[in-house]
Amino acid sequence: MVSIQDLSFSYKRKSVFKGLDLKLQAGSIYGLLGRNGTGKSTLLRNIAGFLFPQSGRIDALGFDPRRRQPAFLQQVFLLPEEFYLPPISIARWVGHAARFYSLFNMDQFYKYTTGFDIPMQGNMQEMSYGQQKKLLISFALAVNSPVLLMDEPTNGLDILSKSQFRKIIAGAVDEKKCILISTHQVKDLENLIDRILVIEEGRILFDQGMDSIAQRLSFMLSFDQEETARAFYSESSLKGNALVLPNTDGEDSRPDLEMLYKAIILAGEKINRHFKSNS
Amino acid sequence: MNQTFSFRRWQMLVGSHWTEHRKRYLLALLAVAGMQAGWYSFLLLIDHFGPINLFIQYATYYCGLFLVGCFYASTIFSELGSKSRAIQYLSVPASHLEKLLCGILFGVVLFFIAFTIVFYIVDIPMVSLANRVIANEHQHWPNTFLPIGSVGVLNFWDTQWAPIMDRKYHVFLFGYFAIQSAFLLGSIYFTRWSFIKTVVSMLVFWVIFILYAQKGIAEHLPNGWHPQDLMRWTNNTDNRMPASMVTLPDTMERILTFLMQYSIPPMFWIITYFRLKEKEV
Repeated sequence: MVSIQDLSFSYKRKSVFKGLDLKLQAGSIYGLLGRNGTGKSTLLRNIAGFLFPQSGRIDALGFDPRRRQPAFLQQVFLLPEEFYLPPISIARWVGHAARFYSLFNMDQFYKYTTGFDIPMQGNMQEMSYGQQKKLLISFALAVNSPVLLMDEPTNGLDILSKSQFRKIIAGAVDEKKCILISTHQVKDLENLIDRILVIEEGRILFDQGMDSIAQRLSFMLSFDQEETARAFYSESSLKGNALVLPNTDGEDSRPDLEMLYKAIILAGEKINRHFKSNS
Repeated sequence: MNQTFSFRRWQMLVGSHWTEHRKRYLLALLAVAGMQAGWYSFLLLIDHFGPINLFIQYATYYCGLFLVGCFYASTIFSELGSKSRAIQYLSVPASHLEKLLCGILFGVVLFFIAFTIVFYIVDIPMVSLANRVIANEHQHWPNTFLPIGSVGVLNFWDTQWAPIMDRKYHVFLFGYFAIQSAFLLGSIYFTRWSFIKTVVSMLVFWVIFILYAQKGIAEHLPNGWHPQDLMRWTNNTDNRMPASMVTLPDTMERILTFLMQYSIPPMFWIITYFRLKEKEV
């Protein structure tokens, strides 16, 4: 669906990507993680055609994003972190905006807005930030674009809305769609994503499916010194040492995304070697 | 699906633009009408002899058109000045050409029509009121028996009341479209303070142009020859009277005038199109 080859991008003086390669497949929800300023939003905006690479190639559904052709914009939708909604009613806005998207489903839109408990009366700019965000998420999902890019979608959502978000996203993906969610709130992606991408120092440091992670890594609490020594990453707590270590049980573990993320950032090369040696 | 221009998609874009901005546009037109009415009322209060004569109407029309039109044009792509609004604007599935043509429709065509209609909606009754004031209070000019004629309504295409320079070529009208198109480009070129920055840029270009036209070209002329205007050069004698003059051939002058009248706005629109295409956010 999306293929990125040897992507290099920099802002005036700051280099963000150097030779980044990435492939996104249909039927998956990707979680894009990375430290602040590592280029998560920049990558999304490169894929969506709002920023142009200095070198390398991006192919999204056969389109060159930088041309921003109408057919491309219909099929690759970016939900930005910072957004704008005009000062008009929801009905009027959606009535006009939806017409540009051939796959837009109005029933789905109202189903999502009902699920998010969004008040449908009044001017959109009178709504709170969280309500506006939920409205835009509902719209983004109802567009039914094959590629949906979401930049920090859970920022500003309350706890109930976050769980509703996970539920809606899980129900929205099918074998023809690919959803890429960029976030630094790792916990919000738990039980939602089926592939994790970690971006660090201008390249994809880690790219694995959750099944593969569950098979090859183990997440546990332990006081055992030997296990702690074997761990890729350990963190002490009152309940014992939280560990990320090679899975030797042969049984799938339950990945802890936050621990995994920390382990990748601090011991990414070791973990990658572990995955390669077991593949 | 045509990726460059689809009339249906453009119609949707126009409809969407109108839905989002109509309140602001209608309020702005009301404000323009209010300012014009206020200005005319002020003239009626201070001058009971010929308050809204044709020259005043002419000046009011063109000053208003230049100021409001250029300011409005500088806001046409103001969405691109903010990251959140720019993403929303650029992500609408319409081509860059459709987005530009939508901007031109509202900023150039509809603005000109709406401004002219609003001008006459205020102008006609105010001129009529001015004529009643003249008829009721002063039929003659002060200390004379010369009758004060009633004032007519301006025909903005008629340059009879225009300054000399405008009479032949409709300099103000065509100049307006040229300058406004520069402000349209400015609205996409400068992300902040586009009106002020465009004014400053145009002044800089104007100074450079004048310097080139007066000094730069003079450097290449034979001794004693001076540029009179853009198409005429004179050789002065000692008494400063032109002894001889070289002009461009009439056909070439007409072609150059035609190009200056009609080619500047499209040229700026084309640059605007490419800036829009290359816009990153």
